[in-house]
Amino acid sequence: MATEKKMFLEALRKKFKESPEEKYTKFYVYDGWKQSKRKREFVEWGTKLAKERGIPFYNPDMHLGGIPLGQRVLMPYKLSQTDIYCEGDDLHFINNAAMQQMWHDIRRTVIVGLDAAHMVLQKRLGKEVTPETVNHYLEVLNHALPGAAVIQEHMVETHPGLVSDSYVKVFTGDDELADEIDKRFLIDINKEFPADQAAQLKAAVGKRIYQVLRMPTIVAMTCDGGTMSRWSAMQISMSMVNAYKLMAGEAAIGEFAFAAKHAEVIEMGTLMPWRRARGPNEPGGVPLGYLADMCQASRVKPEDPIWVALEAISMGAVLYDQFWFGSYMSGGVGFTQYATCTYTDNILDDFCYYGADYVKKKFGGFGKAKPSWDLIKDIATEVSLYGLEQYERYPALMETHFGGSQRAAVVAAGAGVAVSLATGNCTAGINGWYLSQLLHKEEMGRLGFYGYDQQDQCGSANSFSYRSDEGLPFNLRGVNYPNYALNVGHQSAHTGIVQAAHSGRGDAWTTNPLIKIAFADKDLKFDFTHPRLCFGKGALREFMPAGERSLIIPSR
Amino acid sequence: MVEYKPQYYPGSSKVAKNRRKYMDPSYKLKKLRTISDDDLVKLMGHRVPGEAYKSVHPPLEEMGEPACPIRELVEPTPGAKAGDRIRYIQFTDSVYFTPLTPYMRAWMGHTRYRGVDIGVLSGRVPLEARERDLEKVAKDLVETEIFDPARCGIRGATVHGHSLRLDENGMMFDALRRFVFDNKTGEVVYVKDQIGVPLDKPISVGKPIKEEELREMTSEYRVDGIPFREDKEMVEFVQRLHMLRTEAGFDPSKVKGI
Repeated sequence: MATEKKMFLEALRKKFKESPEEKYTKFYVYDGWKQSKRKREFVEWGTKLAKERGIPFYNPDMHLGGIPLGQRVLMPYKLSQTDIYCEGDDLHFINNAAMQQMWHDIRRTVIVGLDAAHMVLQKRLGKEVTPETVNHYLEVLNHALPGAAVIQEHMVETHPGLVSDSYVKVFTGDDELADEIDKRFLIDINKEFPADQAAQLKAAVGKRIYQVLRMPTIVAMTCDGGTMSRWSAMQISMSMVNAYKLMAGEAAIGEFAFAAKHAEVIEMGTLMPWRRARGPNEPGGVPLGYLADMCQASRVKPEDPIWVALEAISMGAVLYDQFWFGSYMSGGVGFTQYATCTYTDNILDDFCYYGADYVKKKFGGFGKAKPSWDLIKDIATEVSLYGLEQYERYPALMETHFGGSQRAAVVAAGAGVAVSLATGNCTAGINGWYLSQLLHKEEMGRLGFYGYDQQDQCGSANSFSYRSDEGLPFNLRGVNYPNYALNVGHQSAHTGIVQAAHSGRGDAWTTNPLIKIAFADKDLKFDFTHPRLCFGKGALREFMPAGERSLIIPSR
Repeated sequence: MVEYKPQYYPGSSKVAKNRRKYMDPSYKLKKLRTISDDDLVKLMGHRVPGEAYKSVHPPLEEMGEPACPIRELVEPTPGAKAGDRIRYIQFTDSVYFTPLTPYMRAWMGHTRYRGVDIGVLSGRVPLEARERDLEKVAKDLVETEIFDPARCGIRGATVHGHSLRLDENGMMFDALRRFVFDNKTGEVVYVKDQIGVPLDKPISVGKPIKEEELREMTSEYRVDGIPFREDKEMVEFVQRLHMLRTEAGFDPSKVKGI
């Protein structure tokens, strides 16, 4: 059982090659950056490229006026619950193609309902809509969406070799209609989900039919998130005009264009206010519950809701902490070091499985207890103190999470996930997180850094508040929620707190069934069923992304 | 009106008592070592010993301040009166039984000293004040029982070490190796100032405090020392605080029991 095994011990032994219980060690004897294979590679490339470009470049001897990185062990990292070890550098998104692709696959996705368009086609324009016409339209759109012309007689187009990851598929909750759709275009709910989840999802979707559109990765790389619904809108309307032989310009086309292009659009992320100005489909606008639904772990291993939550957490760490806070909001490179704590070395995994065991023993399973003060106090206190005690029992663990914010995130995540599992209520889960933060601060007499602590010291007060600008149902919060706008190091675990509440009680989705289905798609480049494994493949340079430009650049 | 009597901190354990003790300005901190004024100035590195304080404004009495009841109520510190710059000293405290934790540094600083601005992070605590005021406060912070030469570090930048294991001499890690253990004397010696600029000559800050003494003096709960979960008063205090904040945020009219 996890509580006896201490899941993190194996990784700690490999990281330090010393007993994890040992309090004393040697420093300053590791030959600085030379102890790291990756840093040695960086030096080799930096030296070569500095000569080529004639401008000084990567040179670790510039660090700290000549005192290089590596005065202590530059420890490797294990991708939790995989066999993959890598260096910290390999988890920076610039160095990890899988992380880039996860974000590109999210950003380049738009869901657009077809029912409004079909209604206008039939009632206003007098066109017949049948499964055959839908299949024909989808074939036309699969030609057009990547960047090809369908109406014009003299038009530039995109090279198929650059945009082959762009396509459209559809899904519906109506089995009869699904049977009529060409299987090449169908996300088959019955096939992709376990039977009980498929039944929930089909009931939620009903007879409606939705398109899932993937714009080319190369567009996601070169344009912004707001581009996506515009790109899809243009190609949808052109394909509709082609497939249904519509007149280009009559007044009714205005109504049709709105119905087909805009009326039923679901973006992956919402717009943000001016102070964080970004368009839709940018990381800052992706609600926690949407990200949890993009993660597909729940359909491949529903019997382990803790693992499911941990997989969702890893996506939150990369999207919110590494991309959004670490790059969009702050610049620089430092946030990766920080964000890895929730998905490496089996540490959070150990805390979460400990909490899950505690919940099972005390409350007879997951989602069986009603949220109450006594329950939140009991579970959040026990899991928090367990986590803090592990850091104190194992000095190598404390050294692994060498920043207080890492420890605070991981301990509180364990507490929040456990409360979510017990109650099936993520608002109770987030309240458990905030109790954990306050306990942690008093226990250690330290927590994170100023900007980290601030939200946690006022978080108790907004955890149950639904008032505008002070609260929100937790599933719909995210980094666009005012109190979380600068809440680095939290949102990964918050994604897991949402996920745990729902996977604990066997829900097929957390917030939006359409998003859950849209990402149940084997043709996506990133593997949303196993994000941590996929990040590990990226770290090992075994992940092949989309968006390659080798066709249009000189060969090396 | 009943006279206000500060309570400082809850808890029934030895750690809680130590926290109350350090925060209570009526308790005189024990002096354990002497660092000369000049050496302290060198360790901080803001000015050369003997150099006049730089100022950012004329002395207050020459400035003709506007009429203001707050200014009449609050006596300026000597540094403020003189117009000194605001400068800093920053400490890193190891997780291994140091006398002060970061939050303790802030709470204690605010109950004991005037005119200080203290920030708290997990691995460092900057204290800022007018320069001549800072030098007075810094004396307390380095010479008394709240400083352990081996497990507390005076570090302006590249602070990390608080959570790392200790070296073979029981010293906290310091990437810049500002301080070293002198095997001959058994004392900890600074060879660089807090920002990492080499000193002309080493400055001793004395012998490390023995581990068994640190365990008595510490303000940190630890499972291998005094575990937090055994201080039930403390745990329940935090739980109640959280519950009241939560209820007040949801609906203040529902809050009971204050």
